[in-house]
Amino acid sequence: MRQVALNTHISGTFNVELENLRNSVLTMGGEVEQQMVDTLYAIKHNHAAIAEKVVLNDLKINSMEIQIDEECLRIIAKRHPTASDLRLIMTISKAITDIERMGDEIERIAKLVTRNKLPSSDTIKSSMVKIGEQVIDMMRGTFDAFARQDESAALEVYRQDNQIDSEYKRLITYTTSEMEKITEDMQDWLDVLWALRSLERIGDRCKNVCEYVVYLTRGTDVRHTSLESIHQKIEDLT
Amino acid sequence: MLKLFKHNIQPVSELSSAQTAVEVNALNLWFGDKHVLKDITMRIPKNKVTALIGQSGCGKSTLINCFNRLNDLYDGCQYKGEVIIDGKNINSKKTNVSRLRAKVGMVFQRPNPFPMSIYENVCYGLKLQGVRERRNLDDAVESALKQAALWDEVKDRLFEPAMTLSGGQQQRLVIARALSLKPEVLLLDEPTSALDPLTTLFIEELMESLKKQCTIVIVTHNMQQAARVSDYTAFFHQGKLVEYADSDTLFTMPEKKQTEDYITGRYG
Repeated sequence: MRQVALNTHISGTFNVELENLRNSVLTMGGEVEQQMVDTLYAIKHNHAAIAEKVVLNDLKINSMEIQIDEECLRIIAKRHPTASDLRLIMTISKAITDIERMGDEIERIAKLVTRNKLPSSDTIKSSMVKIGEQVIDMMRGTFDAFARQDESAALEVYRQDNQIDSEYKRLITYTTSEMEKITEDMQDWLDVLWALRSLERIGDRCKNVCEYVVYLTRGTDVRHTSLESIHQKIEDLT
Repeated sequence: MLKLFKHNIQPVSELSSAQTAVEVNALNLWFGDKHVLKDITMRIPKNKVTALIGQSGCGKSTLINCFNRLNDLYDGCQYKGEVIIDGKNINSKKTNVSRLRAKVGMVFQRPNPFPMSIYENVCYGLKLQGVRERRNLDDAVESALKQAALWDEVKDRLFEPAMTLSGGQQQRLVIARALSLKPEVLLLDEPTSALDPLTTLFIEELMESLKKQCTIVIVTHNMQQAARVSDYTAFFHQGKLVEYADSDTLFTMPEKKQTEDYITGRYG
């Protein structure tokens, strides 16, 4: 595993540019994580005002994505980065797309509260919060793995997604069985299903970012492979 | 599986003798007491562009000078080891050095046309080789100037002094002069460092077309140029070959930290 030392270039300006770029991704990640925390609070307490704030804040995240992308482009054009510097910039450029999509999924979940469409079933609501908390853990782990360029931490987060997937499947089965019993307000139920799907998708987005972290440190592309294959690829490189 | 991008570059470790234009085996070179090249072993692939990079004084230029025995011109130069071209060790005493230098052409950093006409510059080497027939010389001059992408610019003033050409044109003229002898290997020692960016691109484009006919070895301090034009890149440090790989690998995922530090501009 090779970490990208950001502050050892002969050009001090380049050091600062890369450091700022990395920090801006962490800021963006922190914002999205806070959005998720606020959304869960809004669900737990049926707090429409907080959910409204989450929906509005998504614009800020969208704007961050555009700015970071522009900065990546500027650095590529001016600095012609190579090797680990190039991998860092490509990783960032791809990761922010996933982080921005996490923001979109969170916005969708928050709208359940703003539109007063939260599930009436306490079981579903509390399971939703439980998955949400696992998702927050994953997000934290992901951004931490990126900040420390820690591939082991990234793979640990990767593993967590299995728990979210199985919890999601269990909850979908339960929700559809509830839907069969209560056939009215079908649109509301569909909104709940979409929100559950969004939670599961955020976990997938975290996984994507973790794959980029492995690419950053190892230079090998581990997308679309199982966890076992990733371990094998890393072992082959060691 | 559908392959969107095809970069068929063979790893250096898999190059066979038949695919090799220059084979260097355990080459060591000294200028007096100074050990300049230390145990260099590498294979330069045929019909490819190979870039040699590294800090000033790391031995890149000295190495390419070994490929046509230019170092023989320096007093106190001693070398050990093999440089094999066409199956023969050119360091052998039996080597006909003039013939070798026709086979392995060289272009330097500063364009160095001879103080004679454009036409005479291009056919100078051929005349030295004894070619006298005007028609043969005319054909060779036209062909070399076309290959060097200079023909259209000079065809109407072939007998004007070469010094009237611009820097970029002079450099292409020097390349044409080397090409007129149909070299197997063309050595370019920082060929664009004295040229403007646009002319540099013309020369780089020229390399791309020339590699179909000959093997090109370029010494450059411009990392982006090495990444742009070369198929393979070798990184040298203090007379040692640190890393040698296909350029795609070397510029995206170098194996050695020393290489990484150099190409990313970090403290070594």
